[in-house]
Amino acid sequence: MIEINGLVKTFGAFRALDGLDLTVAAGEVHGFLGPNGAGKSTTLRVLLGLLRKDAGTVRLLGGDPWADASELHRHLAYVPGDVSLWPNLSGGEIIDLLIRMRQADPRRSRRAELIERFSLDPTKRGRAYSKGNRQKVALIAAFATDPTLLILDEPTAGLDPLMEQVFNECVGEHKERGATVLLSSHILSEVERLADRVTIIREGRVVESGTLSSLRHLHRSRVVATVTGTPPDLSATPGVHDVAVAGTQVSCSVDPEALPTVLAALTAAGVVGLTSAPPSLEELFLDAYREQADAVR
Amino acid sequence: MAVIETRGLVKRFGRVRALDGLDLVVPPGEIHGFLGPNGAGKSTTIRVLLGLLRKDGGEVRMLGGDPWRDAAALHRRLAYVPGEVSLWPNLTGGEAIDLLARLRGGLDPKRRAELLERFDLDPTKRGRSYSKGNRQKVALVAALASDVELLLLDEPTTGLDPLMEEVFTEYVDTFRHRGGTVLLSSHVLAEVERLCDRVSIIRNGKVVESGTLADLRHLTRTSIDVVLAGPPDGLAQLEGIHDFDVDGDRVRFQVETDAVDRAIGALHRIGIRTLIAQPPTLEELFLRHYGDRIRPGSAPEAE
Amino acid sequence: MSASTLTGTGLLTRVDLRRDRVVIASWTGVLLLMVVASAATAGTLYPDEATRVRAVHALNDSPAIVALYGPILDPNSIGELAMTKLTVLYAVFVAMLLIVVVRRHTRVEEESGRTELVGGTAVGRDAPLAAALVEAVGLSLTLGGLAALGNAACGLDVAGSVAFGALWAGTGLVAAGIAALTSQISASARTCAAWAAGTIAVLYVLRAVGDTGPQWLSWLSPFGWNTQVRAWSGTRWWLLLAYPALAAVLVGVATVLRAHRDLGSGLVAARPGPAEGSPRLADALALALKVHATAIVLWSVGVGVLGVVFGAITPGLSDLLDSLGMQDLIAKLGGYFLAAILSVVSVVISYFAVTVVAHTGRDEEDGRTEVVLATTTSRSRWFGASVVVALGGTAWLLVEMGIALWIGYVAASGPGVGNLLAAALAWVPAAWVTAALAALCFSVGPRWTAVGWVWPGAFITFEIVGELLEAPRWVLDLSPYQHVPAVPAEPWDWPAETGLAVVAALILVLAWWRFRARDIG
Repeated sequence: MIEINGLVKTFGAFRALDGLDLTVAAGEVHGFLGPNGAGKSTTLRVLLGLLRKDAGTVRLLGGDPWADASELHRHLAYVPGDVSLWPNLSGGEIIDLLIRMRQADPRRSRRAELIERFSLDPTKRGRAYSKGNRQKVALIAAFATDPTLLILDEPTAGLDPLMEQVFNECVGEHKERGATVLLSSHILSEVERLADRVTIIREGRVVESGTLSSLRHLHRSRVVATVTGTPPDLSATPGVHDVAVAGTQVSCSVDPEALPTVLAALTAAGVVGLTSAPPSLEELFLDAYREQADAVR
Repeated sequence: MAVIETRGLVKRFGRVRALDGLDLVVPPGEIHGFLGPNGAGKSTTIRVLLGLLRKDGGEVRMLGGDPWRDAAALHRRLAYVPGEVSLWPNLTGGEAIDLLARLRGGLDPKRRAELLERFDLDPTKRGRSYSKGNRQKVALVAALASDVELLLLDEPTTGLDPLMEEVFTEYVDTFRHRGGTVLLSSHVLAEVERLCDRVSIIRNGKVVESGTLADLRHLTRTSIDVVLAGPPDGLAQLEGIHDFDVDGDRVRFQVETDAVDRAIGALHRIGIRTLIAQPPTLEELFLRHYGDRIRPGSAPEAE
Repeated sequence: MSASTLTGTGLLTRVDLRRDRVVIASWTGVLLLMVVASAATAGTLYPDEATRVRAVHALNDSPAIVALYGPILDPNSIGELAMTKLTVLYAVFVAMLLIVVVRRHTRVEEESGRTELVGGTAVGRDAPLAAALVEAVGLSLTLGGLAALGNAACGLDVAGSVAFGALWAGTGLVAAGIAALTSQISASARTCAAWAAGTIAVLYVLRAVGDTGPQWLSWLSPFGWNTQVRAWSGTRWWLLLAYPALAAVLVGVATVLRAHRDLGSGLVAARPGPAEGSPRLADALALALKVHATAIVLWSVGVGVLGVVFGAITPGLSDLLDSLGMQDLIAKLGGYFLAAILSVVSVVISYFAVTVVAHTGRDEEDGRTEVVLATTTSRSRWFGASVVVALGGTAWLLVEMGIALWIGYVAASGPGVGNLLAAALAWVPAAWVTAALAALCFSVGPRWTAVGWVWPGAFITFEIVGELLEAPRWVLDLSPYQHVPAVPAEPWDWPAETGLAVVAALILVLAWWRFRARDIG
């Protein structure tokens, strides 16, 4: 679907992409993570043929995203993070326009159903929509047809949790249909829920890439428990780190192998509350950045 | 005395009742999460509190004054960050920060410099060339660098990346430790969960749930997802266990708060390979109040 | 309004002034230049009283001139004759400046959400409007003062100069009031601007009709007062009070309306749009036409009215020129009155093309272009759509101008004029060169689009200044408008027309080639 090798893009003296590699297989939902300015949007814009690469190879749906742009765009839908609409066109008109511009027929699309699910009023003019509603207009236009590839650049900023659920469902439906999704997002819980694989980039390079479970495997679980009796002393247990006791609450980081031992000790002390979770994507993400930031210092 | 107190607040736009008897109390020194989907009335409430909109009924007190009558005087003591910041196209970010702070009555230059660095914001660019996230940062720096008692934040972190959100969280936390009060409306429930002492969930212009997270959680169940060494015999019959589901050696169920101990003990006796135990997230609490709106046939939006 | 709702007015006024410094300085400079130029040349144009009286009678005898400039009430006053164009017609520019300034700090700020941001600070809710009005009052008084100084410095009667300055200041105050009021009407800043411009147009036409017919109508319009003040002899000083009085009423009504509506809303609720798009709205060209539809209609109406009016004026004016023996002067300026009008109008119409291209630049800066280019729409189509609307619209407006001029002329004085359609068409290739240059700027990058606005003005300046300074021929020839034959006074010139069209085409190809190869955004 997408294959990028050694992609370089410079803006003046600034190297926005510095040898980026990214592979997205057919049918997967691929999370694309990194802080603002790391090069996510630049990568997506190279993929859309909006920017011209300076070096490296880029293949999109088997074609060259720059030379074959309008042909390839027949098979993809794109949603930017900061949607700007034509102020004097209504939401419904814009949705239909974008669908027609992809050479599809809005009347034979899921447009009506999606307008209802996203509870959008399509008769308002572009200038009157709030940020969340502008986002919905772009999402409906993208989800209404059956593109092979969906490129979503922070598509849910400004959506409330209810609409995010609808968004998640829509991505799920397209995935089931066999579509490929490249999802750049700041909302890591969303990526965690949707993505099969994730790529974390930093300063124009990939710093971590793989399935979530493979990334998690390298990291420790966080255990927080409230007990009835005296909290057990876990600090000497092998594979247990960062133990902290506050009253009847004990928290620690646990290597995967040490988990049964810890739980046994906690049960013996009488557990009333327990949180045990593998590192969230957010922790993985922040870890990836903190390590590097420390290295820089 | 509460910093923010509304009783039966009503605001109509034409025939739409955007606020329909809203009660909200925020005591001093608290970070109060204000949750609800778009169109539920969060921004309308904040705009009434700012004296930008005139209430149609009910009572509102903020910082001991009337937000409509005493607007300018009260605004010296608070800072406001909207979710969608528009800057002056030909003023630089630094100029905009100083302007907003001066309109409010001054800022702490040391904190301003520090915030600019932490938020990684270039103050010499003009308003028109900032991205959404950077415009947000300008408003945040102006607000957080001011010496105020109250922060009104309306979805302040949309467009910020997780690193910047960390910085935001840190400064809001410091603000609270200095004795400040915060009303934080947000869609990022993880952020609310991390920062807020109490939350209010609003629906159709009314508060439907309000309390500390622990209060709210107490009413619900912890979900367990475990891989066992042996067969899960007898587990399903334990008291307080619900939605029991077996998939090979993997078992998932929900357990009531006072049955956690019993359940973990039983699991331990069988032998635990891996375990994920999670109290209900704020998101689950939130969706419980809105679950009916996700499916088709949902209510029309009112904005 | 009370003291607390006005908190922060002073600070906001300073910020507003800072943001406006370029607009105010350039506009004030141009207006002052017009005053000084007119005042200084009056003495040489009309050396003695007899010439003056003859000129005034000739002007007053032409209803078209009176409709345009208003009557000259005292034939003996050199000041009134010198200020003919400035008393009413150029006062419209004063009004426009004030409307731009006031609207910019009220409705535009409100629509963008900045009023909300500022409203969350210790700024009273009436402060943004108050700050805009403080600036407007200051600006009106400054403009009036400068106009008075300019006139007096050029040797015109001091009392008259002061009265003239006062009526300009008064016009400014009323315009500020109009802007304050119309800014309450709609949530859309563009609609508010249209209301303000419409109000000015109605007041101007009311006066034009009154000056040429039932005189009481002129008294209903502040532009009518500008003449009736009789600034230069027998001044009606009391009438000057009418301006601030009317302005105060307008501002009072605006404040009441403002107090009774919610932030961001208008008195007129926004109309809902269609829930579904028309099947024809399916490609870049259809989109460009739809986006510019309102502008095309408004331009067409404006050009049509202007054409008919100028067409109707023409015979009267040539009579006047005969009587003054000034045919030579006019000949130098453009060969023939209609050709001279077309030379100015074609530059103005070129701005239509510039607005279309500028809009495409804004589409790109706001991120709409990338959404379109992510569909099967190719760059060439996107670029082509903008160019087609820009060039097509320019050609249509010029053709319409030619037809309207002809209709006006024939209606006023019967057949007998040359081929005005050809006369108008002659300017199309030159206007296209300007449009192509705007497109070239856009093709460099969206931020360069603004440079496109410079070309038409620059070309006019080239011609006027170049001629005054007797610059070498090739400097003058840099302007495409310089090569256009003054049809119908001169014959059609195929080599020049073809040459201009080829130049336009070459520039467009260069722009297209560049746009296809550059980064978007």
